[in-house]
Amino acid sequence: MSDIGMILDRIGRKLVTEVAPKLDGDYSGGHAGMSGLMAVMAGEAWDGAADRLANEIAGMRGLFALAGKQVAVPESPSLKISDLTAERNELAGYFVALQMSLEAREDDEAKALNAKIWMHLMATAMARMPSPPDFPDADE
Amino acid sequence: MREAELAEKFAAYAEARLPGARNARVDSINRIHGGASRQTYSIDLAYEDATGPKVKGLILRRDPPDSLIDTERRVEFAAIKSAFGQRDLPVPEALFLETGTEALGAPFFVMGRIESGTPLNPFKIEEVEPHRAAIGEQFFRYLGSIAALPVEGSALAQETDSPALTQCWRRELDYWANEIRSNAKDPQPVAEAAIRHLEANPPPPAQRLSIVHGDYRTGNYLQDGAGMMTAILDWEMAHIGDPYEDLAWATDLLWCGNDQERAAGLLPWPDAIAIWQQASGCQFDPAAFEWWSLFAHVKALGIWVTSEKAFAAGDNDDPILAWSGWFTHAAHELMLAMRLGPKYGAGI
Repeated sequence: MSDIGMILDRIGRKLVTEVAPKLDGDYSGGHAGMSGLMAVMAGEAWDGAADRLANEIAGMRGLFALAGKQVAVPESPSLKISDLTAERNELAGYFVALQMSLEAREDDEAKALNAKIWMHLMATAMARMPSPPDFPDADE
Repeated sequence: MREAELAEKFAAYAEARLPGARNARVDSINRIHGGASRQTYSIDLAYEDATGPKVKGLILRRDPPDSLIDTERRVEFAAIKSAFGQRDLPVPEALFLETGTEALGAPFFVMGRIESGTPLNPFKIEEVEPHRAAIGEQFFRYLGSIAALPVEGSALAQETDSPALTQCWRRELDYWANEIRSNAKDPQPVAEAAIRHLEANPPPPAQRLSIVHGDYRTGNYLQDGAGMMTAILDWEMAHIGDPYEDLAWATDLLWCGNDQERAAGLLPWPDAIAIWQQASGCQFDPAAFEWWSLFAHVKALGIWVTSEKAFAAGDNDDPILAWSGWFTHAAHELMLAMRLGPKYGAGI
């Protein structure tokens, strides 16, 4: 069994549909339902996590290049989520500074690049949004 | 502290404070799920006094090791006292406040239990049918009534400061920007851009200073399933400020079941605004609402990153904190990006 996404999905559904209802009225019932819900979401996120981070990193590096900015952030040594997250976070710090510098300018070039930055932020925010699982009786 | 020990200590505490009470005991104690900012217990307290045996329904709100929001229970207690018995607001009676740890191991307060009603899940707001309009009418009338409560001389005014009309927005934005910067484990480019946008485009001065509930939304009131709102709860973020803060928070898209046609997912927008205006005495100003509505997303991000931090640190393992740090954070980040991006030329 190596399909982690499937395992998390099945565990989550078991918690929501079987375990939580048996604990109805007990404080732990809410915990079981919520944990199950997030297990299903984690199963879905598992599959796309590396791809999402790689896209965020490529997007930011592309915008730095458009801005003519050199950023001294080394590429991730692996495709581990933790390594990709560290690279993304380090880039994001410079990204905030880049956007602030563009907002301080009035020229069209700066405005056009800032619009591209917002396009990137909109796209990444959309990609990060988990789809809530549909359980007829799940209690968020 | 285990529940049996908590019940025993609570009975002794209550007996000492209820006039003429003796032989007090806790007949039942049940922890209520969902109140991650405090450990919340529903208690049946039995005791005798000069008039005979009694059973009193109480709610105990005890501080946890960590919570969604770092607030002082004395402020929540004062806010409930300020609203109890005012106009026709369904607010529980604030009874006892303890800021020390001697009695129950942590600070706490006690309020009367409102015996009817259950909370409505904001993600399943359609369950309010067929009473959506009736609940909506009360929801916006009570919201307006809170905004119209007298500030001067209120219990809340004795516990918190009252900002100048021109500074309400500044104080709230500074507070929540600091929460985000202090607690986020990752950089927050969307939140940072939103904070800069709000600083550069301030709202008009507050029309009046009001008691602001701070978390007035579906999920934080009880309804009886027959069209009556029976209790307004969760006053832990109450403060004195601009009433638009509550209006914007109450109608945030996250609490609306993604229903953009109805305010708070309950009433058509014109009806909701008219009821709120009449009850509050405020005039609706689209510019003020736009600012406070964007601010509501930022404030939410401040709560969600704080939740995530507490969960990740192991200070509080309630899964609601993980949910907040993940799903609701992503939702509000997306709302901010989609609303602000077009203002800066994105997507055109």
